[in-house]
Amino acid sequence: MLDPGYPVNLHAVHDRPALLFVRGELRADDERSVAIVGSRHASQEGLAHARRLATGLSEAGYVVASGLAAGIDAAAHTATLDAGGRTLAVIGTGVDRVYPGVHASLQRTIAERGAVISCFWPDQAPTRQSFPLRNGVMSGLTRATVIVEASSTSGTRVQARRALAHGRPVYLATKLLAQRWARELAERPNVRVSDTADEIAAMIERQRDGRPLTDE
Amino acid sequence: MPTVAELTKGYGNVLLAPQPGPGVCQTCFNLTDGYDRCYACAHGGRWLDAVVPISYSVGGEQLHHALVAYKRTLEPVATHFTVQLAAVLWRFLSAHEQCVSRALGVPAFSVVTTVPSNDPERDDEHPLHGLVGQLVRPTRERFRRLLVRSAYPVQPHRFDVNRYQPTGRLTGEPVLLIDDTWTTGANAQSAAAALKRAGAGPVAAIVIGRHLNREWGSNDSQLNGLPKPFDWEHCVRCKQPDAR
Repeated sequence: MLDPGYPVNLHAVHDRPALLFVRGELRADDERSVAIVGSRHASQEGLAHARRLATGLSEAGYVVASGLAAGIDAAAHTATLDAGGRTLAVIGTGVDRVYPGVHASLQRTIAERGAVISCFWPDQAPTRQSFPLRNGVMSGLTRATVIVEASSTSGTRVQARRALAHGRPVYLATKLLAQRWARELAERPNVRVSDTADEIAAMIERQRDGRPLTDE
Repeated sequence: MPTVAELTKGYGNVLLAPQPGPGVCQTCFNLTDGYDRCYACAHGGRWLDAVVPISYSVGGEQLHHALVAYKRTLEPVATHFTVQLAAVLWRFLSAHEQCVSRALGVPAFSVVTTVPSNDPERDDEHPLHGLVGQLVRPTRERFRRLLVRSAYPVQPHRFDVNRYQPTGRLTGEPVLLIDDTWTTGANAQSAAAALKRAGAGPVAAIVIGRHLNREWGSNDSQLNGLPKPFDWEHCVRCKQPDAR
């Protein structure tokens, strides 16, 4: 937290971790980042949607963060890498661990071309508590959270709650509105429903602070 | 150009509006476990004619973080919060400044001022002055620095009429005093006393955050019982009285 390289977006949230462990490189322009998250057991449609959003947002100049989990997370990371974009993996274990194991090579690639970030000691195994904590860090690290596909019991909902508590916007895929929790979430301030990267990028841009202010 | 409406959207989930009612301090909206007034308001000076907190600022939570971080030199985080807090104050004043002037029975506040910093060396460049005097359109034309910290030795967190020194005479003008955080009210009440000594008319304080600790007494359950999300349409002065 005292290091000049500590991410500025994280400095702006109340529950930021004092220590971050990083494989790869953090950059000042990682501030222009957005998290794309969703469930592990995703449909083909959901995976395709995550890929489209990741591609579009990285083409719009955004760094794409996700949680290196199976399903939506992996789709967001790989689509960003395929598009030549930069991606950050905020993981729920220590940086020397890989979870799930099948993502070992993806984790290595992200460490080489982006960064793998953890708030846990490097050899920490995954626990029940570590994934929700990771979601809070991911929300803090990024300007906004986009939720692609998630069930009512998904840990992704934790990230939506953290993002709103941080004062950050949450964007929901239209398909989520079939579920009651998502309809209720969509009623909260600063939650919008959108399926296109361009629209999401424009909405994030409108919330950038700067001077002077206007009431128009 | 960033708009007030866009910049304050996220604060709808961060701000927590006080509700007047039993167990809430009639002066500062502190949670009192049943008393009409909290200890600090019952035993300290009561020179302000109205105190209007926009929100509770709960220790360690996001608004508290913003209210501390905007005064730090760490950039760009300090500027980020200064602009956001300016937007919050702007939006609140546009909707509710008249609720406050009405409570005092005055047509409007002709002068707006701030509580000086406790560190006189930093007072000249305190971000609250820039916020009220430049960024916030509803206040900037009326902003005047009416007070400075006096050289008189005073105890921290204690009401003291000598804490601040007026910079000139006033002739009965109603004054709107703005501060970022209210904890015991010692600073704002001392400022109101100094303003009245200088000849001010009625003085009201609008503060962004009324500081509370969640761990204290039954604060946690009372805070959890407050309505969410934040309601920009109502303030503590124009709310319907609590139905309980």
